[in-house]
Amino acid sequence: METQIKSKENFNPRIVAFLCNWCTYTGADLAGVARMKSSPSVRVIRTMCSGRVDPTFVLKAFKMGADGVMIGGCHIGDCHYSEGNFKTLRRVEFLKIMLKDFGIDPKRLRLEWISASEGDKYAHVTNEFEKELRELGPLVLQE
Amino acid sequence: MIKLTIDGKQLEVFEDTSILKAAEKAGIWIPTMCHCDYIEPYGVCRLCSVEVVKGKRSRIVTACNYPVREGLTVRTNSERVKWIRKIIMELMLSRWPNVPAVKEMAEQLGISKPRFESKEKDEAEDACILCGMCVNVCNDLVGKGVLGFSKMGIEREVVLPYNERSEECIACGACAYVCPTKHIKVKSLEYERGAIQDWSLASKTAIYVPTMQAVPRVPTIDEASCINKQTGGCKACQTYCEPGAINYDMKDEEIEVEVGQILITTGYQLMDLTKMPQFGYGRLDNVYSSLDFEHMLNSTGPTNGTIQCKDGSVPRAVGIIHCIGSRDENYHKYCSRVCCMYALKFAHLIKDRTTAEVYQFYIDMRAFGKGYEEFYKRLLDEGVNMIRGKVGEVTECRVDGEKPFLKVACEDTLIGKFREIPLDMVILCPAIESNADSSDLKKIFSISQSPDKFFLERHPKLDPMSTMTDGIFIAGCAQGPKDIPDSVAQASGAAAKILSLISVGEVAVDPIKAEIVEERCSGCRICNNLCPYGAISYIDEKKISFINDMLCKGCGTCVAACPSSVITGKGFTDAQIMAEIEGLLAI
Amino acid sequence: MAYRTYLMVCAGTGCVANNSMKIKEKLEDELLKRGIHNEVSVVTTGCNGFCAAGPLMVVQPDGVFYQLLKESDIPLLVEEHFIKGRPVKKLMYTPPKEKSSIPKMSDIPFFANQTLIALKNRGLIDPEKIDEYIARGGYEALAKVLTTMTSEEVIKEIKDSGLRGRGGGGFPTGIKWETCKRMEADTRYVICNADEGDPGAFMDRSIIESDPHAVLEGMCIGAFAIGASDGYIYIRNEYPIALQRLQVAIKQAREYGLLGKNIFGTDFSFDVRIVRGAGAFVCGESTALMASIEGKPGEPRAKYVHTVEKGLHDKPTCLNNVETWANVAQIITRGASWFSSIGTGDVSEDAWGGSKGTKVFSLSGKVNNTGLIEVPMGISLRQIIYDIGGGIKDGKKFKAVQTGGPSGGFIPESLLDLPVDYEELTRVGSMMGSGGMVVTDEDNCMVEMAKYFLSFTQAESCGKCIPCREGTKRMLDILEKITTGEGTEEDLVLLEELSYMVVDSSLCALGGSAPNPVLTTLKYFRDEYETHVRDKKCPAHCCKALIKYSIDPNICVEKGHGCGVCSKSCPDGAIIGESKQVHYIDLMKCGKCGICYDSCKFNAIYIE
Repeated sequence: METQIKSKENFNPRIVAFLCNWCTYTGADLAGVARMKSSPSVRVIRTMCSGRVDPTFVLKAFKMGADGVMIGGCHIGDCHYSEGNFKTLRRVEFLKIMLKDFGIDPKRLRLEWISASEGDKYAHVTNEFEKELRELGPLVLQE
Repeated sequence: MIKLTIDGKQLEVFEDTSILKAAEKAGIWIPTMCHCDYIEPYGVCRLCSVEVVKGKRSRIVTACNYPVREGLTVRTNSERVKWIRKIIMELMLSRWPNVPAVKEMAEQLGISKPRFESKEKDEAEDACILCGMCVNVCNDLVGKGVLGFSKMGIEREVVLPYNERSEECIACGACAYVCPTKHIKVKSLEYERGAIQDWSLASKTAIYVPTMQAVPRVPTIDEASCINKQTGGCKACQTYCEPGAINYDMKDEEIEVEVGQILITTGYQLMDLTKMPQFGYGRLDNVYSSLDFEHMLNSTGPTNGTIQCKDGSVPRAVGIIHCIGSRDENYHKYCSRVCCMYALKFAHLIKDRTTAEVYQFYIDMRAFGKGYEEFYKRLLDEGVNMIRGKVGEVTECRVDGEKPFLKVACEDTLIGKFREIPLDMVILCPAIESNADSSDLKKIFSISQSPDKFFLERHPKLDPMSTMTDGIFIAGCAQGPKDIPDSVAQASGAAAKILSLISVGEVAVDPIKAEIVEERCSGCRICNNLCPYGAISYIDEKKISFINDMLCKGCGTCVAACPSSVITGKGFTDAQIMAEIEGLLAI
Repeated sequence: MAYRTYLMVCAGTGCVANNSMKIKEKLEDELLKRGIHNEVSVVTTGCNGFCAAGPLMVVQPDGVFYQLLKESDIPLLVEEHFIKGRPVKKLMYTPPKEKSSIPKMSDIPFFANQTLIALKNRGLIDPEKIDEYIARGGYEALAKVLTTMTSEEVIKEIKDSGLRGRGGGGFPTGIKWETCKRMEADTRYVICNADEGDPGAFMDRSIIESDPHAVLEGMCIGAFAIGASDGYIYIRNEYPIALQRLQVAIKQAREYGLLGKNIFGTDFSFDVRIVRGAGAFVCGESTALMASIEGKPGEPRAKYVHTVEKGLHDKPTCLNNVETWANVAQIITRGASWFSSIGTGDVSEDAWGGSKGTKVFSLSGKVNNTGLIEVPMGISLRQIIYDIGGGIKDGKKFKAVQTGGPSGGFIPESLLDLPVDYEELTRVGSMMGSGGMVVTDEDNCMVEMAKYFLSFTQAESCGKCIPCREGTKRMLDILEKITTGEGTEEDLVLLEELSYMVVDSSLCALGGSAPNPVLTTLKYFRDEYETHVRDKKCPAHCCKALIKYSIDPNICVEKGHGCGVCSKSCPDGAIIGESKQVHYIDLMKCGKCGICYDSCKFNAIYIE
């Protein structure tokens, strides 16, 4: 795989966001409709539920060159599928431990609860995540 | 059954029947003045005295409460009985000579002039004749015990406890209804209490007509306060209802209806004005909410549509304060949309019906609709005072020798001065807010709420009446504050959307489902417990798990969890998502 | 520690009001001073009964009776009797018109002619000491009942005894108990009616004050017989001493395990609560009393369904009067045949066939010996008034006796030999009632008397039903007219008619009996009414509107020499006259108070 030397100065982090169809994806939509400025680095993948996010997806994203991964779901208790986001919560906790073992800063994986009406929160969270990743610098994976 | 003889007539009646009832059955009239069918016989007028004969001895008993006994011989019209009735009527006539009920009864019994002269004579036509029916109705039937007797003997009188107005009284009017002399009158007291909502929205009796404009306009029973629902007694309304339209066996029931689509139009509630004590609502007289005032304006309302203060006087100046709780950082940030226009309507009606000065205290005048701005202009021509600025507080002022008035303190931002304006009446325009239980509804329908708690539409511009859940639609103030034309428009749109789906006849269901590749399933059953809908079951014979297509909602939780990766989410397969990731990160 | 002598000082309400507690203190002081306080003990007892002689004291064991004691008499009494052993004659009882005094209580006719059952312990025990009650055989009956008898046997014993309700109605107690027991119910109540409301009657109070345990024991036995575990004593709050003694008695009985759970170690449990009445006369009526206990207004209801079927809280309830309860233990101890041997008639076939045992009366009015007496049923009125009561005061002429409280009738002299029992009294238009007995003499106007008692019942009417509320008031109005000289012959007819109507159609016994004084006086003393109406005169000189005071000028000058005492004493300044001259009464000013009449030593003033 081609490795690029990424310098901190003109570094534009690549964020893969798995967003649940009912809440965060709609929230992102709302942010757009409301003309809120959100990070352009975010590349969105829609899943029906945050519970659909298989840990391998996250690992795959990091492997493919993502600098950060965000999972967005409904607030606890508000899940469209009753309890899918509980499963996500548990998986992410394990995943963070695993990422550490792989030498990836767990901060690069973010789990956020953003409801359909929280366009502003979506914008705020993505912007903040981008800023954080800028400080962390590009993800360099050891072969 | 018990056999007895009344005035020579043989008859057979049930046990525990009173002589009065038995006589009634036999078509024999016995006079009474303290008996009504709905209450336990009280036996105080003694007019129903009859002679009960046992062997050679006879005794006088009251027919209303003497239970029939086997072989009883009753004389309802013997000389002795007639003599007793005559003297009782004379006693009553001498005390209450002008009460129609007494006069009529006396006439029926053939008594014209009493031989007694009563020192306690009460010549009123509606004098209390101490029959006690009101007291018994209130105690036994209504169960409130508001009325009672005080003093003894000749001084006995029916009173409220301590002669004060009772908080217990539910103003059911039963006492006034049974009163044979119309001595008891039900008086509307709410006006004295200040807060108009008492007379309008709160139910005062157990059975009531919700509003005069209710459709259909029929009374409804409030289960919580209905005596019958609690004790099985009372049934006064049933007894009074001639067509027999009242049925206590009807119960609130949960009806399950299978539907394909749901339109939620649960509306709104007005903000509780007591949260903002600076405006004095519920505390100061003549401070009303817009809804209270609307009731006052109503021609079927408590004042028959006249605008008047609590003391009945016509106000000299009325202030209308906009944006109570709306456009307010502390309560609701949004604009309630309808207040400006109804406040202008109020101003117009006040000007129309009274000579009062009208002051509008507004932040911005939002006359945005068709013809609205023109109405605003018209109002300015009518001489309504417009004060741009938020009101700080409403206080009551008392000046010696004058009736108290209200004072509104505000900043007039147009002239840049602090002003205090004396008023006789203040109308507050409370914010429209989402119903208190809207969060429960949200959970039931799996829909979302915006931060202001109104239900969230699928798309604010392109799809304002759908929700994120297919088949659930919203319209009206449940979605956000709006006026009647807007609500009608949105509801019509939602109805059209629903109809369009119905006319198609079939609905395309999302194909997003999970599927198990049978051959590769190891039967570990990890997925079985994960599914919130119980769509995954384990087939014993095949030792594999199986997904019921109709139950599966396609969330994909099981897909992500399957250790053998044999569950695929249609439309969201692992491969598809992997490819998405690759594609996204290719650049 | 035994004493040689016990001084039983009466601490009944009458004697206490006459300073008997001071007498007791003085006695104790004096005994201490003389150093014989270890030999002579002072005991306070309940009412002795001879209230006219109070404050009084009985010296036991000799039985010497001292009366009308004053604090100043005490040093002499102690010195003479208890140190020197010479009873003091001048402090003893001397019958009217006789010279020698009677030293022994048992020889005094007032006591000698009485038979004590309900009042067995009066004056003999300290009512606040349960041990003294037990020492006199108390709670023996209860023990017998609980350990050897069944409830049926108890009821049979009471039935056989012929005991009837002493509260007024005279309902056979045994039958009441039996009916109550027969009713199917999970709970039954016994109630003691101590709401004694008759003016001048104080037998219930006296029984409770002198022997509270007798009532408790009776209730306990009754509760066992009918199967009740809760009892109430409804007592008026105006009886503070009785109330306090009851409280003490209940506390002691509980301590001794005679009230409460598992009495005498048996399965039977029973306790008593005191309910204090506010003093409404009508609350003596059983249904009104129960309504009052339930916390409702004390108003009667129709009793076509009896309280033994549906009483307190709609449960079968056995309500008896204090005196009835006080008889119960005696009957159990001494047997039904002993009890039924006293009195009139035969109750073996018909429970209403006779009046058995004794009855306590409070004898008051114009007799010499007023007080509380217990006499056997069947005794004649003459014996009561003349033998026990010692005849009419000041040698006046007897006119009538009213029995049974304010709603009792007046019995004239011609019926004085009437045996006192339920049926006879009712027959002549009066009643047994709770045992009030008011004697009137020639100075009493019967119209005035009727008016007085009717004004009481009229004021105490609860006002529920028309005949009682309106009827009694109209009757009173007519009587008022008659006594003020405005009555007519028609009024008499109307009054009589109205009286019969009120009796016939009133809701409860209060109204049903309230006209009795009017009816009996109309019956036996109609001539007095007629004199009032026709001649506008009051023969007894009672009705103020119908009399006028005059001064006989001859006596005034000749005997009194125009002394002027009358003129000075007249509150209205209505008597004019110079000293040593004839005095005249200005009738315009005269308030007819009669003070001048009493003040004239020469009887120059007379009533026309």
